[in-house]
Amino acid sequence: MTDKKPFSRRQFLRTGTVATGVLAAPMIITSRKALAQAVEINMLGWYGTAEPDMVAEFEAANNVKFVPKYYAGGDNMLAALAQNPPGTFDLIHTDAEYAQLLIDSELVDELDPSDYPMDDLMHDDFRNFPGHWKDGKLYSLITRYGHLGVSYNKDAVTREEAMTYNVFWDEKLKGKVGHFDWHLPTLGQMSLLNGNNDPSPFDIDEAAWSAVQEKTLSLKPQVGGYFDFGGTFASLKNGEMLAMVGIGDWVTGILERDGAPVSSVVPEEGGIQWTESYSVVSTSTKKDIVKKYIEYTISPEGQVKSAQMLGYPGFAVTHGGRALLNEVDPAEAQRTGQVDGDPNDPVKLISDGRIHYRKVPAQQSLEDWNDFWSEYKNA
Amino acid sequence: MSDRLIKWLLWCYLGLLLVFVFSPILTSVIFSFNSDRFPTIPLGSFTLKWYQTIFDDPDVWSAARTSIFVSLCTATLATFIGFCTAYTDYRYGFRFKGAYLALALLPPTIPLIIMALAMLAWLSKLGISGRAWSVVIAHTVLCAPFAMGIIRLRLQQIDPDLESAAWNLGASEWSAMKTIIVPFARPALISAFCLTMAVSFDEFAVAWFVAGLNKTIPVLILEVLQGTTDPQIYAIGTFVFLTSITLVIIAQVFFMTRGRKPTAPA
Amino acid sequence: MNRPDVYASTWRLPVIVWQCLFFVGPLLFMIAVSFFLVKNYRMQEAFEMANWSRMMTRGYFWDAYWYTLGLAAASTVLATCLAFPAAYGLAFKVSESTRRWIIFLLIIPFFTSYLVRTFSWYVLLAESGVVNAILGKLGFGPYTMLNSAFGTLVGYMTLTLPLVVILQTLSLANVNRSLIEAAHNLGAGRMRTIFTVIVPSAKVGLIIGAVFCFILSFGDFVAPYYLGGSKPPTLPILIIDTTKSGQQWPRAAVVAVVMMVTLLTAAFTAITMAYRKRR
Repeated sequence: MTDKKPFSRRQFLRTGTVATGVLAAPMIITSRKALAQAVEINMLGWYGTAEPDMVAEFEAANNVKFVPKYYAGGDNMLAALAQNPPGTFDLIHTDAEYAQLLIDSELVDELDPSDYPMDDLMHDDFRNFPGHWKDGKLYSLITRYGHLGVSYNKDAVTREEAMTYNVFWDEKLKGKVGHFDWHLPTLGQMSLLNGNNDPSPFDIDEAAWSAVQEKTLSLKPQVGGYFDFGGTFASLKNGEMLAMVGIGDWVTGILERDGAPVSSVVPEEGGIQWTESYSVVSTSTKKDIVKKYIEYTISPEGQVKSAQMLGYPGFAVTHGGRALLNEVDPAEAQRTGQVDGDPNDPVKLISDGRIHYRKVPAQQSLEDWNDFWSEYKNA
Repeated sequence: MSDRLIKWLLWCYLGLLLVFVFSPILTSVIFSFNSDRFPTIPLGSFTLKWYQTIFDDPDVWSAARTSIFVSLCTATLATFIGFCTAYTDYRYGFRFKGAYLALALLPPTIPLIIMALAMLAWLSKLGISGRAWSVVIAHTVLCAPFAMGIIRLRLQQIDPDLESAAWNLGASEWSAMKTIIVPFARPALISAFCLTMAVSFDEFAVAWFVAGLNKTIPVLILEVLQGTTDPQIYAIGTFVFLTSITLVIIAQVFFMTRGRKPTAPA
Repeated sequence: MNRPDVYASTWRLPVIVWQCLFFVGPLLFMIAVSFFLVKNYRMQEAFEMANWSRMMTRGYFWDAYWYTLGLAAASTVLATCLAFPAAYGLAFKVSESTRRWIIFLLIIPFFTSYLVRTFSWYVLLAESGVVNAILGKLGFGPYTMLNSAFGTLVGYMTLTLPLVVILQTLSLANVNRSLIEAAHNLGAGRMRTIFTVIVPSAKVGLIIGAVFCFILSFGDFVAPYYLGGSKPPTLPILIIDTTKSGQQWPRAAVVAVVMMVTLLTAAFTAITMAYRKRR
């Protein structure tokens, strides 16, 4: 459609531009003022990772200010990255399987392993985490992880019942099974239930993939809703949902602190691990301070902050972090099994082969999985 | 049925409606003072910690500044554009007027989520996305038709002979506008300003998409809602509510005193 | 008009310029985007039917379409019916200043966050929530109200009802009183007067209210997500899901274009009906 009155259009365009400029001026001035006070680190991360409980200490010590943009789910993170002009973000906090995509797209910078206590990491896998290295170079640093299994309301389900994913089909949970609205964790669990654990629940052929879809669809009558990060917390807390697929202690841990009768277990079929790491964006102009923050996150102090994070807790990846956690917050360390020799020690679960790292699907495209997820939600 | 009974029933009905409208607002106020981390009944103890949290949080303050800036600019621009359009519609008949009105009035028929998608794609193509004034631009498009609607309704009540009488008495079009149309439309202009400001102040979908890191208050709330569902959203909600209600009362008082000019005969 | 009429243009042009730049521009561009391709999470300008043929052949797209349409229609009927008695009362049965004050009360929700109100409903409607507690005292329930179409409709009403009441009240208040008097004098009953005199004369306002309600409900993602538990998802949720997943903006644009066409058709039909045979 074009304007019918060209003679004055240009003039109006000009006035429009001037007017917009005038209107914008105060904003630019105010934001400049804010900039002068501290260096801003623009961070893309899961909810809570740049809240004061995590970053305030670092901010104060280094005169920086974190400006977060939060997302939920790796696909969402990629979208946010693409929607904003290059150079918008300095630091990305992401799931390991998506860090790999960032590295493949050459969006993030190489890191120097000698800057970090690689020898102090609690498991060999952490040192060579899949997708964090490319051609022998480190691009992304692991900082925290957690396990996904069956999360349940203790008033409705016993721990024994929750020890299998089949509990989701239990008659008493009809309409009370919630989903965290993301395809990877749920479909990974369904894949484990179908016995796909070698090499990985995410590395399955077409026949197995069809079986996973079928299994998932059979859960539909039990489903009470699909929730984002916040909705997951709220619906478990208020008893609206009695069991949740695709989550773990990162949700129930927070709710337990608040006195809710909920818990998570890694069932017989095995659990899925989420792994989060930090990467420096190539286009950032503040790489030094950003790298300094990454060092901070893997220091014992940073690890304890991460284990106690108000948004959602993550396990410590270093011996140093675990030791300090046991010293300052033994209750939290014991609750989560982060005590050497504990039968539920998450590191032991990994060594026992009960845990499978979450990955992007190996034989199907992410899109296929995502597409099926839309179909499932509408079924 | 007697008139009295009818009137009584209608009052009850209105009461119920207001209960429906206000119960979520009241709930948010109550839970903003509740100590529990997750809002459920029975209530925990009384606390001000959520207010303390937001008061100490610089992000909340910068979001508030962005929101005020955005809604004031939007209300000004939208009321101006709305008035121009309403007056054109009231005063002139011309070719393509249908298309003209469609162009002016269509934005609210486009759902916010679609506007958000389209705006972000377009503004980033033009290279002006991710700023506070990207939100102003988008919000003005959304709000101007509301302003036009309100002002047009008011102009409808004007005696059409009034303006032409003024011209016949030698007043120029400009001075007739100044002495007759604008004063007559003033209450509508004020309500249009308030309403568009309100719409802009509460709009989160488009702002969420186009604002980049310049969060407005509703975007901040959306992020908390998607994130931890912390009761601080109730505290922010209550705080915003109290501030804006003060503004509305001021506007209303103004409206009541200045607006009581004799209207067009019924 | 041979010479440019400065006065007329001053009033006429602002909206044309602004809307072409920032309303028509984005929408046309979005239509173009629906033909673009996405490779490695980056959008590439192209002209391919791939996105269209893909979305149009997906069963879940059409399920979501009809579900959203039905729910928005239900919301419109509900809001129109719920609002009318209130608007009628406000327009005819209360004094002018009472009306002003109640309208003022109804404007208040616009100044509170819709998101916060929605989340309050979450607390109120939960199985262990306030409403069920009250119903329990009366010996009913508990009812499951969240994560259902009911929850979504409560959200839609929160969003639309105050606006619909205000729009209806404004249009009813403008109905010529002498017409009503005349109807009464001719012996028409209350209901008859309402449906043969008042409703037809206030038709435009009533329809505009309904149209707004439909549009707002059709495009809202908050109520169906937070109160309806995306069970099933509506089109707006589908748009967000699609943009979130793998940067599939072109496919989201397809959904958006279909929504737009639907709404324009609905709105045009309604507006044509509203203005037909007026005066």
